[in-house]
Amino acid sequence: MTQVTLEYYAQLREQAGRSREAVQTQSASLHDLYAELRARHGFTLDAQALKVAVNSQFSEWNRPLVDGDVVVFIPPVAGG
Amino acid sequence: MKRFRMAAEAVELSVLRQPLEQSGAGGYCSFEGWVRDTNEGRPVDGLDYEAYNELALSEGERIIEEALARYEITDAAAVHRTGSLKIGDLAVWIGVSSAHRDAAFRACRYIIDEIKHRLPIWKKERYLEGDTAWVACMHTERAHLSEVSDAHDHAHDHGHAHHHHAEAHATPIEATRAPFVPDYSRQQRLRDIGPVGQAKLAASRVLVIGAGGLGCPVLSYLAGAGVGTLGIVDGDWVDASNLHRQTLYTAMDVGQRKVDAAARRISAVNPTLNVRTYAEPLHAGNAEAVFAEYDLIVECTDDMRSRYLTSDAAVLTGKPVVFASIYQYEGQLHIYTGQADAPCLRCLWPTMPDPATVGTCAEAGVLGPVPGVLGAMQAVEALKLLLDLPGARRDSLVLVDLLELSTRHIALPKGATCNHAGCAAAARQALNEARASESLELHFEHLHDALAAGYQLVDVREPAEVAAQPLSAASRQLPSGQIAEQACGFAPGRYLLVCASGRRSLHAAQTLRASGVEAYSLAGGVAALARPVLAG
Repeated sequence: MTQVTLEYYAQLREQAGRSREAVQTQSASLHDLYAELRARHGFTLDAQALKVAVNSQFSEWNRPLVDGDVVVFIPPVAGG
Repeated sequence: MKRFRMAAEAVELSVLRQPLEQSGAGGYCSFEGWVRDTNEGRPVDGLDYEAYNELALSEGERIIEEALARYEITDAAAVHRTGSLKIGDLAVWIGVSSAHRDAAFRACRYIIDEIKHRLPIWKKERYLEGDTAWVACMHTERAHLSEVSDAHDHAHDHGHAHHHHAEAHATPIEATRAPFVPDYSRQQRLRDIGPVGQAKLAASRVLVIGAGGLGCPVLSYLAGAGVGTLGIVDGDWVDASNLHRQTLYTAMDVGQRKVDAAARRISAVNPTLNVRTYAEPLHAGNAEAVFAEYDLIVECTDDMRSRYLTSDAAVLTGKPVVFASIYQYEGQLHIYTGQADAPCLRCLWPTMPDPATVGTCAEAGVLGPVPGVLGAMQAVEALKLLLDLPGARRDSLVLVDLLELSTRHIALPKGATCNHAGCAAAARQALNEARASESLELHFEHLHDALAAGYQLVDVREPAEVAAQPLSAASRQLPSGQIAEQACGFAPGRYLLVCASGRRSLHAAQTLRASGVEAYSLAGGVAALARPVLAG
């Protein structure tokens, strides 16, 4: 199990009903993690519509997860 | 005889007073302004006054004539110094004689206030620490305007009884007021700006795309800062639902073009600006040419298509862009520096997301000050770029959460390029595609014209939107999210897709085109249709 912290913004925050959460996950990569969270929170956005950052750096989706990672899935937003 | 003088040398008070000693005068009131030894807490060694003499003389004379017309006084005179003055020297003198003291006091106050407000005079303060600062003397508050109108005012005032009221006062004074001279002293005092930075701003040209919740603070602050040329792009009209967050507009502006109302407002803040307006959104055919005329772009729209167009045109013209967007209580700020290796919007999100998934203020809701905060941040970033102020100059994405009151700064990978053949190739391809899709957009004022032209209508809005504002002509209802899976169910024919703003319908039309359906999008959506005239 890997312990990671998630931060949610915009549509993801709204759909998750929270701004951040700590999770224990068996997912090996960011891709798997998003799929897991999507199933849990009912996220409507596909992973390909999102950008992902780990520890304040943009990251590839196939990056393996490490204990203590802070993961942010960033949806594009358009309001102005 | 001239009653107002500018004096380059010290003046003798008894000489100034002598012409006022007239037999009808029962008294005399004077004001002397002296050079004091501190300004705003800083010890001052002395002053140099500079004036635009010709204008100062004619305006000074006019002020005294106004005082003679407004107050029951015998005579008045004034003098203002120029040149080098020491502590304690006389800088300005006003003298008024009259039959009764009240009029003399009032006229004296009127003259000094108007001199301080209207005369083109600057002072350079020499501080004891050795540095100096130029201070414009104009535009100080006029205390006499806040005087309460007084029942004991004499007969002469009745014909001009309005002169105590700022609003009514504006009419006679405004007509003769000297041209507005902006005063940037508060920002010029910043060590990194100074007169050199101010000159840079005056020579700068900034294009603000979108005059909504983000654009309003951007325009206000850039106008106030003295950015010499401001371009405003917006195709919208002011709506009452804008007023909670779009602070350039008032209830009086509802129904007017935003570019016109915004241009009027920022020109009122700073009449010295060159303001250019674009009343239609930019498109793939003109964006590069328009960008070429500016130094910096500030992207403030709520339209994904505009954001991608801005990114593509900026990549191809090498212009920096300050992007921001908001969602309910949050915002994103993205700085694109315009350098060859800077990551563009497509480096972050390679393809434009389906407009239905990204949320506009109308659909997702927004708290009024949220775009205010993000727009003010955009203005700061724009000034940082224009003035080359110290601080982070790297390309970055900042996530702002105003519920948590937190920001997360995400550094963009250095030298990031688009997945394909680099940003420029991706931008060129996207602009070519955008030009093609612009031909999918059709303009109709009335839906029955579209029906008459042989189009079948497809309403791609959500059921709740359709219920709230049904179309005035027969249409098939198919929410945009279901278009892709229903594409094979379209019989041959020409279809016109309709949504609220034209964004979802264009996206849906492109989706249908990919399946071989002859689909078009109603440009501007329902919002662009002629509004039915309501009875009564």
